[in-house]
Formats: sequence, structure tokens, C-alpha cells
Amino acid sequence: MEPINIKRLKNNFTDKRNKMKKRSALFIFLLLYMFAIANAKTIRVVTTTTDMKSITELIGGDKVSVSSIATGYQNPHFVDPKPSYIINLSNADMFVTVGLDLETGWSPQLLASSRNSKIQKGSEGYVDASIGIGLLQVPTSANRGEGDIHIFGNPHYWLDPLNGKVIARNIANGLERIDPSNKSTYENNLQVFFANIDTKMREWQAEMVPFKGSKLIAYHNEWVYFETRFGLKIVDFMEPKPGIPPTPSQLVKVIGEVKSNNIKVIISSPYFATSSADVVAKQTGIKVLTLATSVGAFPSIKNYFDLFDYDIKQLTSALK
Amino acid sequence: MLNMGFINKKELIFVTLFLLQPFFAITTFAQVPTDSTATDSVLLKQVEEQMQANANEQPAPAQTRSSLNFNPDMGVIGDFQSSYISRGKKNFDMYLNETEVSLQAVVDPYIRADFFLTFGRDPVTGKYGAAVEEGYLTTLSLPAKLQLKAGKFREAVGRINPTHPHALPFIDLPNAYVNLFGEEGLNDEGLSLSWLLPTKSVYQELVFQTTSGFSESPAFTRSEGNRLVYLAHLKNFFTLSDNATLELGLTGISGPNDSARTTNIAAGDLTYKWKPVQLNTYHSITWQSEFYYSNNHNAPGNSINSFGLYSFFEYQLAQRWFLTARYDYAQKPYNKSITEQAYSLSAGWYATEFSKIEVEAKTTDDTIQSRFYQAWLRWIFVIGAHGAHQY
Repeated sequence: MEPINIKRLKNNFTDKRNKMKKRSALFIFLLLYMFAIANAKTIRVVTTTTDMKSITELIGGDKVSVSSIATGYQNPHFVDPKPSYIINLSNADMFVTVGLDLETGWSPQLLASSRNSKIQKGSEGYVDASIGIGLLQVPTSANRGEGDIHIFGNPHYWLDPLNGKVIARNIANGLERIDPSNKSTYENNLQVFFANIDTKMREWQAEMVPFKGSKLIAYHNEWVYFETRFGLKIVDFMEPKPGIPPTPSQLVKVIGEVKSNNIKVIISSPYFATSSADVVAKQTGIKVLTLATSVGAFPSIKNYFDLFDYDIKQLTSALK
Repeated sequence: MLNMGFINKKELIFVTLFLLQPFFAITTFAQVPTDSTATDSVLLKQVEEQMQANANEQPAPAQTRSSLNFNPDMGVIGDFQSSYISRGKKNFDMYLNETEVSLQAVVDPYIRADFFLTFGRDPVTGKYGAAVEEGYLTTLSLPAKLQLKAGKFREAVGRINPTHPHALPFIDLPNAYVNLFGEEGLNDEGLSLSWLLPTKSVYQELVFQTTSGFSESPAFTRSEGNRLVYLAHLKNFFTLSDNATLELGLTGISGPNDSARTTNIAAGDLTYKWKPVQLNTYHSITWQSEFYYSNNHNAPGNSINSFGLYSFFEYQLAQRWFLTARYDYAQKPYNKSITEQAYSLSAGWYATEFSKIEVEAKTTDDTIQSRFYQAWLRWIFVIGAHGAHQY
């Protein structure tokens, strides 16, 4: 009998162990690789605002990973173009903008610095969500003497839930352009979104019916689409002209209007100081209501539907 | 007879047939339907019917004419100033310091162009002259996160140099900066290549610039030989929180000086910004500092090392009100024993995005002159398009 060669056995053992190591390494590598492929397949979308993010997530489902530059409690006109936003933009497959010059002070600069040709204006990955929106307040003359006017029309159109459908259609078109293989998924999600909007719309309108024609004061001219859809009447603004902070003479004017029209509510947004509205409240007893203008304005508003749930609940209880 | 000794008759026929081939091809193609299968003829019939139907359709209603055009975004920035200085004979002055015309647009899918033409008053002759402040193209679609700029541009030295003076929160420029780069800054003609580093958590950008030395900066001159001015800048931008950011920049510049030797400059910039995301139009803080270290070879075996810095603190009191305090320290690059120290305070009222009024008071001490005081008033006004400023 041949003596047991311990060295050989040991070698054999080490060989086996090495083989196993190699196999497990290979397995882990494959797993990571598959994960990477799965990950790589998700469409990376950067949106300017959280509303666009929410709708993109509803249409894209698990095929997309979405980030928004602005937060929901931030004034979308005045976002600071921090270089850190460029990192996400440089890796994005698609860019969604509210458009109509809402983001003119910051998004063009960020796009130009992104070095990403996929998302430049005119490229397949550039989505202007305002295409096809029935615009309100399109000025007949462009004169900055009227304050911060928008030459293409009022850009706060996402505050009409039915415009959400147009936004969703534009986003779905964008996703289908850059990822045609998942077209059916996007189309299905779009139909679900349309159906949900229709269902919710009936609820929201039913809730708002008793308050049709209610007169309001708003801080900034950003509610016209909401106002038109739900039959409200904004009598005046705290700002004497869009973008100009409230002046004492404007407050006097507003106080007069509140008293003569028996107006119950001033609506403001999270990014405006309420000090001037508080002055009017002290003089007249009017309620100051900070409504959400975007998804994420308050922690409970997690998607586009929550936005209207929140605002309508707040408004109806304040107008009662 | 044609002299075609090198081609025989057979070949000639072949060549002729070859040349005529396209015509055969066309005829063959035209004959496809008759020779083809039934399905193809059905398709052809459908297409013909459709075309017929299209022809019978009413013409589309005339579209309203779009007011779009290919004019670039145009803007004009006016900069009216009045000034006071406590020394010399003429203490008060007022002038339209600068009129800047901006023309900006995307050229084609590959590049965009930015022009800034300036009409300024020559301080000596008092006459107005036109100049190209900047005029450059920027690529939009280079691979590997590269971006190329070519033309005349304000170079990437820290924070003040790339910024147009009307956008700064003070009216004069820091002494240390003016000593090295002049009132117009390091603004030269050449190429700039920038690379966005693939770091995910920190924004890092590396810029290389090569310019000809046309700038009016005292530190560098245009070489009579083939020497160029080289610049490298690394920008690091950290997001500390939603409301606070920190920028750290490092710059190195090397180029020919007026002694036909080399000046090397090392510079660093540090900027802390606090701007609450939610109420960002009401309050903010900026603390920005830059230092410049210059090594100036002016004679064989001789060089002067000088140092200078500024640091300012800007506080936004309210939506329209800004207050800025600045400290300057500078050694003269040609004689480091002459040092300057200055303190200044500026207040700005920003009426809208398109106009602002600022006042500034400054006191300067240097080692060869007695203390003197300066004050300025500046009114900036913009018409037309106005691009965003750097953060």
C-alpha cells in the first residue's frame, strides 16, 4: 500500500478549496453582473420639479429611476443652479421640464453644463411636459413693467389635475422614444393613470361643488389653472405685480377687497413668508392657508394625487 | 475610331452595360408590381388609393404663423456709477461705467455660442470704445464628460474672475486681484477643456486652459516668441446639507511676463453658502475667500514672491436687501515690501431680477501713502434676456 502523501492530500484539499473559492467568486461576480445589467436597464430620469417626478414614476413604474432637482417646498422660479445637480444630469437618459420659461433662471444653465447630449433641447431624451396644454393668461404684449410675466402663458399648469393627463402623455412619449421595448408597459401605466385621474376628479369636483364661485386672495399668480378647474374666483394677489413683494398700498387694497367681498381665505405657498398675509388676517379676520403647490410640499404629499387630496381638504374645511 | 488600344471590344460592351445598369434597375423596379406577387400588388393598390384619398382631402387649415425666430437671446446691461475718492483733485465723478450687450444661442446640435460685447469709457481719454468682453463657443456633445470652449473668455481663476463685475456684491474689485489681473481680469483668447470627474458624491471639475496672452492682466503679457499662458483649475463642490454648500478651488497659472521670463501663480478659493431651500429668496449667507501667491521671475536669478487675499461675508437681510463686508490684503507683485490693506462695506437693494442699486464705502492703507477713502454708487439695469449666474 502506498503511504498516504499528506502533502498531496493537502494540495488536493487546497486545490478544491481554491476551486470552490473561484466558483463562488464567479457566482458572486455573475450575480453582481446581472444586478448591474438589471440596474443599467432602468431609465435614469431627472425632472425639474417633484410633480414631474411623481408622474414619471407613475408612468415608468419599475423601469425608471427618477430624481427631481427642486424640492416640493421650494419656489420653482428661483432654484439655485448648484453644480451638484449637474452630476445627476450628466448621467441621465431623460430630462423632464415644466417648460414655458418656469425654470428659465436655472435649468438651461444646468443643461448646458451637463455635457449630456441625450437630454439637450431637441434630443430624444428632452421632454417638455407643457406640449399640448391649453394655456391660460398668454400675454398679448411682453412688458416687464407688468412684473414677472411669462411670455408663453402662466406656467403653473400642473395644478389642474386634467393637465396631469397631458403631462403624463408627454412623459410616456419620451419614455417610449428612448425605451421602445417597454412601450406596452408605459401605455398600460398611462391608461391606469388616466383612469385614476378620472375617478379622483369626480371625487374632487364633488367636494368642491358647494364652494363654487368662492372668492379668494392669493399670494402669487400661480393658481389660475386650479381656480379655473374648480370654479373658484381669485380676486387679487398679495403681490402688487408678479414677483414684486407685497407693498403697504397693496395690503390696504387687499384689506378693502376682503371686507367688501367677505372673502374668507388667503392662499399662499410654502416658500412665501406669511408676514404680509398675517397683517391682512389681523385686520380682517381672514384665514391664511398655506397650500401645496407641488408634491412633497408637506411630508404627507407623496404623489400627484395626494397633492390635490391635500389642497382640496384644506380648502373645503377653510371655506366651510 | 476612338483610340482604345487597351480595352478590347468585349470589355467596352461590358463597361457600357455596367454604366447603363442604373437605368435597367429603375425600369426593373418600375416593373415590380406586374411581375411581383399578388400581395405586393394589393399593397400598391392600397398605397395608390391612400395617395388618391390624400389628394382629395381638404388642405390643412392654415397654421397661425409662429413668432419664433432664430435670433439669439439678446440682452443689454447698463452699469451707471458715481464715485468719490478722498485724495487727488477730482473727488467726485459719475459715468456710465459699462454697457454690455449679450447675444447667446445654440449654434447647432453640437455647440452653443455666447457673445458679450462691451461699450466702456476709457478712463484717460473719456471716450467710449467697443470691445469684445467675451466671445466663445462651447461644445454640447463631446464624449467622456468633456467640454471644450474656444474663443475669448474670462478664465477659470477661482470665483471672482469668471464672474461679470455687475454680478458681484461689491462695486470695486479686491486689491490683490487687481494687482495681478487688472480691472478687466484674466480674460484671454484660446482654448479651454474641462472634464467632469466621475465622482458621484462630490462635484469635481478639472479645467485646462491655454491662451495667447492677449489679456490686459499685469501678471502676463503676450510673448514675442511662441510661449503661451497655461492654466489649470480644480473645482470641488460639496453639498453639506440641503441648505449649505462648500466650494474649494485650486488654480495654477504659468505664462510669460513683461520681463520676457515666467510668472507662476498659485491660487485657492473657498466659498461657504447657506441658503435655506424653502425660503431661499429671503435670507442667505455667503462667505467667500481667495488667495493668490505669485512668483515673478523678473531678472536672471531673481524672482519676487508676493501674496494677496480677500475675504468677504455677504448677508441677505431680507428679500431685497444685501449687506457685504470685505477685507483685502495685498503685497505688490513687483515689490512685496509695499503692502495694502483695505476694508469695505457694501449694501445692495435688488429691486427685481433686472435692476439693483448698490453703495460701497472703502478705506485703504498702504505702506507708502496715507490712508484714503473711496465710495461708489452703482445702478445696474438689464433689458431683454438675462442668463443665469453661476452659483
